[in-house]
This record gives sequence, structure tokens and C-alpha cells, in this order.
Amino acid sequence: MISRFQIAYKNLLRKKARTLLTLVGIMLSSWVLVSLLGFNRGYEQALNHDIDNMGYQLMVMAKGCPYEAATMMLQGGAGLRYIEQSMVDSIVSRPEVAKVTPILMQAFFDPNRGDGGGIAGYYGVELASFPGMKPFLRFRQGGWFHDESATEAVMGYEAAELEQREVGDMILVPEKNVQLKVVGILERTGTQDDGTIFVPLKTLQKISGIDKITTIGIKLKKDADSMKLETALYQLPDVQVVSFTQVKQTIMKLISTARVMVFSIAIIALLIAMVGVVNTILMSVLERKQEIGILKTMGAMPGDIFFLVWTETLILCTSGGIAGIVLAFVFARLSDILVRRILPYAPGGELVAIDTKLALLTLVVIVVVGLLSGIFPAWKAGRVRPLESIRSEG
Amino acid sequence: MRRVIVLFHGVILTALLFLCFPAHLSLAAVGCNLNDPDRDVPRLFPESTSYNTRYVSIKQLGGDHLLKKIEKRLGEKHLALYAPIDTPYTLYEIYTGKKKVGYIHGVNQKGRFGGIQVFMAQDLNGRVKSFYIQRISGQMANKLRNSKFYRKFTGITLKDFDTFDPISGKGSGRIAEIHNPSPEIETDFFGILRGLKKNLVLMDEFVFSTGGGKS
Repeated sequence: MISRFQIAYKNLLRKKARTLLTLVGIMLSSWVLVSLLGFNRGYEQALNHDIDNMGYQLMVMAKGCPYEAATMMLQGGAGLRYIEQSMVDSIVSRPEVAKVTPILMQAFFDPNRGDGGGIAGYYGVELASFPGMKPFLRFRQGGWFHDESATEAVMGYEAAELEQREVGDMILVPEKNVQLKVVGILERTGTQDDGTIFVPLKTLQKISGIDKITTIGIKLKKDADSMKLETALYQLPDVQVVSFTQVKQTIMKLISTARVMVFSIAIIALLIAMVGVVNTILMSVLERKQEIGILKTMGAMPGDIFFLVWTETLILCTSGGIAGIVLAFVFARLSDILVRRILPYAPGGELVAIDTKLALLTLVVIVVVGLLSGIFPAWKAGRVRPLESIRSEG
Repeated sequence: MRRVIVLFHGVILTALLFLCFPAHLSLAAVGCNLNDPDRDVPRLFPESTSYNTRYVSIKQLGGDHLLKKIEKRLGEKHLALYAPIDTPYTLYEIYTGKKKVGYIHGVNQKGRFGGIQVFMAQDLNGRVKSFYIQRISGQMANKLRNSKFYRKFTGITLKDFDTFDPISGKGSGRIAEIHNPSPEIETDFFGILRGLKKNLVLMDEFVFSTGGGKS
């Protein structure tokens, strides 16, 4: 005996072009929806990953513009003002603090980079505390410095690539003409560390003729009250505190406006697709009025007709939804690249993160909204009067 | 129904093909580009009115076989550090009006204190028209980054390297006559010569030996 599904399937095949166009509509809206949900999740995950990869949750630096500080943390750059290194001791004794690392950022002018010269940036870090803050850093070659005042350097992958350096090679600090031996080259991390040249803090202080630092990186104890510590740190003279929670919130606030707009477009796309479903099924019902009338004279109840028509909606929405999800998976990488080009700041890692759970959620949304749209045509089909429909001309 | 399936497969295949290209580029190593082509191209090629940027890779043009061939011609094991076979090389095609008049191409070369970026402009016969070191590190680097030194390379062709080996620094002919302006930076001087040879060999393989030079 032929099942309800088979009848519904055959009905849809009667008007192939119309069915295909409706399917494409549902597929596109499903693709947009799953990609947007993936972006919604992926961007936040990638941002969290970038922030975790910083190794510390708070940074203390000399007073200045907070946006400059945020840019410096996320994109790299040179600190313009200095703080006393003794400040590290006053911070490390606080109960919320797990680890502290002092950092000195310095930039030197190199006249032999391009036509007008360029800036070479160096990151002075403490061997005793910095590697512990970033245990996830892996070395492609070599390792960290041999001591706190060694004339050595560790290069991020892209810095080594640009400078064509290997372990054992020398680099020259421009302006100061100090030679440093490359002792380690890091694996690619996808963060600002890739373009960084790390030098022992004391060595960079000696080269620059400065006994101060630009930044203090702070790692909090688990479950520590970040806000309480921030408030306390603001009492220190002439410093500003930048927490990654703040940075994250600012970025997420900027992104949320764009997100609302894009979600509105997705909802409109979904609504248009569903209007297409209603139109297709309703047309199909009107065209088959006589046939439905015959089915009823043969004993079919209004409920049977209702479910038969509803099954057609179910088939359309499920197939279109699945096709859209497949497209979203296939195009995830391309969407990632496009989003990255559009956004002013995009963290490393996967920006459009689609997984099975998200795909299933989208499918459920599409099918439920589709079935709701299918209620009217199905109800209309169920109410067809047998004799009237048979008498009417087809 | 079969038509629907065929159409669906077509969409998926197109999507996959489309995806392969950017994914490939995004993972590739960094090539050697002019910092500001709009400013640098007219300087290296004064008669140019426009240029077209093309990206080529050894993998795309001939794969392992071509890589081995180039390494053999250069006498070096590696083309550059961190330069896998899929490294995109940037090729600037230079035009005067609608007529192609030459090329600009650059390479990364290891120097004593950092990477050296060696650029050259070539006419359609592969002759060096102008020469430029975009980047070099070192105290005496300015002795190598000056127009007097650059002019010594004008007119050089790949054939000039037949009688000179930039690895050993020995030989005769036009290249051997180029004087090192600063004996203290011998490593960088020979690095530049190796970079120039690499540039000429790559351009020969990418453009001139394929007969694409004048087209």
C-alpha cells in the first residue's frame, strides 16, 4: 500500500520547477540562518580564545587613551608611557592575583625598511614569569632565553619569516646597533605573538637606557573578583587598568548592532521563504481540488487530507533546510573570509562555527516555521466539499 | 528528479571549487610585495602608465619537478626560509597604454641581520631595467641602498650569471665587476647577488622560458 509520504512526494514532483524554486528559497534562508547563528557563536568563541591566548586577564599601564590601550593589546604596538617596575611588587601581593609579569614595549626606527623607513618593535619580557603566563606557546625551533639578561631574542613565526631568521642567526636592533642572537622561533599562533620579537626584559631595558616598564600583565586566581581588583588598581597613581572583559564587552557591543541588522535580514529571508511555501502548497491544493473531492467521496476524512498536504510542507521544509545546512557547512570557510574582510576587528580562529547541534537547531526552526505556514493550505484542503469540487471545472 | 539531483550536485561542486582557492591562499606563506606599488612602479618603470598584479606559485606552474629544477639552477637547497612550494610570488606586469612593456618582481633573501627584499624591473627581453632593495638590516645597509649601487645592475641578464657564482663569489664578467661598496657587509652583498640571480631564474621559469615574455 502506498504511504502518505509517497503520495505527498509524488504530488510535489508534479510541478517540478515550482517545487525546485520553493526548495531553493527555503535552502537559502536556512543557509543564511545557520551561518548567522554560527557567526554569533564563532565570533565570541574566537574572541575568548584570543583573550585567553593573551595569558593574562588584566593589564596595568600608564595613563592614556583606553582605546589605544585596547588596540595595543589586541593588535600589537608600542607603549608611549612608562610605569615604575616597583609597581609589580605592590600588585603581586594582592589576594586576587595569581601571577604577574612585567613587560616593556619598545620601538626603534629602522631607515632601511622601505622608502621612508619603518618601525621595529621589541617586547621585553621576564624569563621567570612570562613563559608561565603563556604555557600554550610552542617552539618551532630552539626555546626561551638562557638568562634574564642574555643578548638573545625569541621570534614569532611571522617575524622570523619576514626577517628570514633561524635559531643561531643574529638580528640587529636598529638605532642602537645591538646584536641579538636568535635562540627560539615560535610556532604560528594566529595572534599578535606571531609578529613579535621577544627580548629579555633586562636586556631591552639596557638597550633602551630605561629602567621602567610599559605594562604589567596580571593573571587572576580562579573565581577571583576581577571588578574588586580593578577598583583597587585604579587607586595606584597615574595608571590605567584595561581588563579583557572590558575589551570583549566593547567589541561585542560594536558587533551587536551589525548582528541585529543581519538577524533582521535573516528573519525577512525566512519569512519570504515561508510565504513561498504557503504559495506553493496553496496553488497545489487549488489545482487538485477535484482530486481531493474524489478522495473524500472515497472515504478520506478532512484530517487525512490535512495531514497529506501538511506532509508536503514537511518534505519541502526538511529537504530545503538540510540542503541549506549542507551549503552552510561547505561555504563556512568562505563566509569566514568574507566576514573577516568586512569587520574592522576579527579575532583569530574560526569566526563562523557551525556544528551538528546548531545545524539541528536550524533545521527544527525551519521545519516548525514551515509547518506553521502549511497549516492554512492544509486546513483549506481539508475543508474542500466533495460534490462541489467534482462538479467544478478543473 | 534526476535533474534536481544533478543541479544540486553542480551547486555543491562549484562551492567546493570556489572554496579551495581562498583556503589555499589564506594558508600560504608570505611572498614579496612592493610596499606601495602605486608609488614604486612608476619609479622602477618611468614609462609605465598602469600595471597588473598577478600571483604565481611553483606548485601551480610545475610542482616538485619545477622546484627541483629551480634549486638546481640556483645551486641552493632552499629557495628561501619558510617558503613552501605554494608561496605566492607577486608578479607586476607593466603597461604603457595598452602595451605590455615589462615586469617587476621581488624575492626574499637571507641577509646577515635580517631579510633582504630584492626587486628588479625587466623589459620584455628579460634585461634588468632598474634595481631596488626594499628592505635590508644592518648598520652599513645604506651603502647598499643607494641609486649609484642600483645603477650597476642595469642591463644585466640571466646570461651574465653563467660566468659568475654568487654562492662562492667567484667568476668573471659583468657581475664580477660590480664592486662591493662596503667590505664589512660581504654577507649582504653576496646575498643581494644571490637574490638577483634567484629573481632572474624565477622570472625565466615563470615568464620567459614559457614564451610568455612578450605576450
